[in-house]
Amino acid sequence: MVALLALGFQAWLPSVLPQDADERAVAEVLAREAQAGDVVLLHPWWTERARLFLPEGLSVTAYLGDEGDALVEHPRIWVLSQPALPRTPADAFARGFLPGRTPLGPDRRFGPLVLRLYRNGRARPVRFVASEALPTASAAVELPGGGRVECLREGAGFRCPGGARVEASWHEVLYRPSRCLFVIPPGGPGAVDVTFEAVPSSAAVRLEAAIVWEHAWKHGSHLTPLHAEVADADTGAGLASVTVPPGREGFVAAEAPGGTRRLRLRVQSDNAHEREACILLRALDAEKAAAP
Amino acid sequence: MSRAPSRTDRRLAFGLFLGSFALLWATEAAVGFVRDESVYFAAGEQAVRWLHYLLVAPGRAVTDAITTQAFDFNHEHPAGMKLLFGLSFQLFHQGLGLVRPAAGFRLPAFALAACIPAVLHAWGAVLYGRRAGLFAALCFLAIPRHFFHAHLACFDMPVAALWLLVVYAFWRAETDAGWWLWTGLLFGAALATKHNALFLPPVLLPFVVARALRASRGKPAARALLQQGLLVVCAAAALLGLLVLVLTPEGFVRSWNLLSPATAVVALLAAALCTLGLRLSRADAATFRAVAPLGAMALLGPAGLYAVWPWLWYHPVDRFAAYLAFHATHVHYAWTYLGTVLREPPFPLTYVLVVTALTLPVSLLAPMGVGLLSLGLRALAGLRSASRSRLGAPASASEVLVGFNALASIVLISFPDVPHFGGVKHWLPSMPFLALLAGRQVQLAGDALAAFLAQRVPRLPRAAVTPVLGALLLLPAATLTAHLHPYGTSAYGELAGGVPGAASLGMQRQYWSNNVTGVLGWVNAHAPQGARVWLHEVVSFRDYQRNGMLRADLQPAGGPADADVAVVQYHQEFREQEVAVWQAFGTNRPVTGLYIDETPQVVVYQRR
Repeated sequence: MVALLALGFQAWLPSVLPQDADERAVAEVLAREAQAGDVVLLHPWWTERARLFLPEGLSVTAYLGDEGDALVEHPRIWVLSQPALPRTPADAFARGFLPGRTPLGPDRRFGPLVLRLYRNGRARPVRFVASEALPTASAAVELPGGGRVECLREGAGFRCPGGARVEASWHEVLYRPSRCLFVIPPGGPGAVDVTFEAVPSSAAVRLEAAIVWEHAWKHGSHLTPLHAEVADADTGAGLASVTVPPGREGFVAAEAPGGTRRLRLRVQSDNAHEREACILLRALDAEKAAAP
Repeated sequence: MSRAPSRTDRRLAFGLFLGSFALLWATEAAVGFVRDESVYFAAGEQAVRWLHYLLVAPGRAVTDAITTQAFDFNHEHPAGMKLLFGLSFQLFHQGLGLVRPAAGFRLPAFALAACIPAVLHAWGAVLYGRRAGLFAALCFLAIPRHFFHAHLACFDMPVAALWLLVVYAFWRAETDAGWWLWTGLLFGAALATKHNALFLPPVLLPFVVARALRASRGKPAARALLQQGLLVVCAAAALLGLLVLVLTPEGFVRSWNLLSPATAVVALLAAALCTLGLRLSRADAATFRAVAPLGAMALLGPAGLYAVWPWLWYHPVDRFAAYLAFHATHVHYAWTYLGTVLREPPFPLTYVLVVTALTLPVSLLAPMGVGLLSLGLRALAGLRSASRSRLGAPASASEVLVGFNALASIVLISFPDVPHFGGVKHWLPSMPFLALLAGRQVQLAGDALAAFLAQRVPRLPRAAVTPVLGALLLLPAATLTAHLHPYGTSAYGELAGGVPGAASLGMQRQYWSNNVTGVLGWVNAHAPQGARVWLHEVVSFRDYQRNGMLRADLQPAGGPADADVAVVQYHQEFREQEVAVWQAFGTNRPVTGLYIDETPQVVVYQRR
């Protein structure tokens, strides 16, 4: 009986695997119907073969734990799922994904692939993204005595004294690929600070900071917490701050009321070793029902 | 009564050896080079260069400087298998030109792996019956991960084979003259292969004690000699312990040289044991056969390791201590298990059992599990009563030996502080014994089914029932192995839901980088002339070129920043490196990849 079941499983499995034609059919629909700001969420999260086929300009989200991602910058989400695959965690996905999301149409099937569009009730209009504004920002390193040394612009980022760096780049934070401000602080009491001009008015300023990749997991007395804070660059008044202790994986977030025209981001860690930070600094409006 | 297999079973065992060897050789070319293998290729070639030098200038070749120079590379593993890899490469590739370079290195590994089905049949046929032996033999290599590991010029399958051979010789030694010597020699070979073998003496010790007590019952002369032997061992241990206390462990290791007190203690111990062994063999052959295997292991094991590992010749104690220290403090590689990346101990206690259950084809997991459970219950029942119970005959000492070894490596690796990377390869030595127990179970099930069918279908040939049942159980495993070959590190059984089910469970997708072969064809066809190719986690770039699997004009890149083509191994702990390719290449759209049953294994990006 066990042998027959095993043979049956092996005979059945190919029938739930999508063919290239199925993937292409989905890609054609998305190329036709997707709007600017849409994202494709793959379910299960590891079904990334779809990346081979999906339209180039369309955002794709697929990482372990992505069902809980608010995807704030995406008003609409295309969920491309393979529900028939063995051990697909349908309940866990529904628990994490569905709250705040409203279907905007029925399931559409392409072989074993199922495509469904949702309105993202957790989306928020994004007024400002620090990593995109870096070309017009300035950066400097605070010296322990109180002075400042300007950082040199290098490409789209900055190279600073004391080994500090600021750039906009892709990094992994607890398996999540994030395009963020990549900041290496100078170490010691000094900090690297980045000033952003002409920040649009918004309901809130949201600061999220994390240590990238496996460095986040590492712990030990030689590692020191990373402090990130955002302040009004004109008055110096602090708006939001976060601390990422050694061993903390994932983003630590804080939010403050928006409205400031110039923002200053300050990042510091006593020991810069393995404190490479991924910072998301955004100006957001309140959640609202996005238009379909 | 001799435990030798019959002539027919010896022939069958030899046929299984030849068939397994031929199968591994025939399917070798597709198997990529795992990370460690390229290191062993290089170490094997270096060992052979030293052997050449030994022929040309023997006086200089055996000096401390030259042996250190020749064997310092990859000294974290003994030289035994590396010498064989190198010799085989020299003979079959360089000399005769019969095989490609990689196969030249791998042939000794095929030979040792092919011993496993042969020994399983020889042992199983005597212990349980011919059908049990055949099923055990066939089921071992039908398991996808076993079939994969059997191809590699590494040490995991060879040490599993030698573990089995040592225990088989130990089992034969109880009844057959001369096998105690084979036990010692094979243990030496096992020690010269991989450090797992160090755990064989403690695993076998309880059986030696039980055998010795049983054999010497009512024989005062034999008992007296055993007591003297025990006294000598205790005295030597006490003296060595005293030296450690006085000198501190580091000082003890430092001060141990040819003319030190520790050498004298060990030499006297060896001489005393040899003398007592000789007297025991004259006093009582049965008692001698009971303890001689352990004595042979104690004397011939270290001697064998020392003889084939020139790196130890001038610094046996401190270098052996360093070798042990390396493995006792081995780094913990990241490993994905049920959605969590394990990076440091304590590791989950059930890890080994869960991974074993998820990676074995379920049609073989079932008889293995039932066989082990049945053995445990029968052993417990046997403690209460020597008579037959509802579970069947009480487990014999031979069966307990099999069961003990089936659990030994599994229990050892289950300790939460032991490194847990490497899939199933670290507890491979347990698996042949589980195969034996599966063989027994299938034979019993076949007999029961035949009896049941005989009442309903009288014309049915009873002898055909077990072979048909066995074939039915082997078929899913063989199908899975054929489907997944050569990507054995990605294999998961039906209980996991296959490879995609395991991905959803959050299990380690693959390891060791050999799956890169799945995209080398694309790279060869599409990479521009002279392109810089980053093969993430692959240290075998030159080996792929040397074996004609990668175009010779391609250049290795050190990372995505200086690459035209990036080939990324899909590991949960390496996502940052794939994201770094997005950053460097300006796209997150791969151009191709190796996707096994939809699961990403190796992903290829091309700079635009």
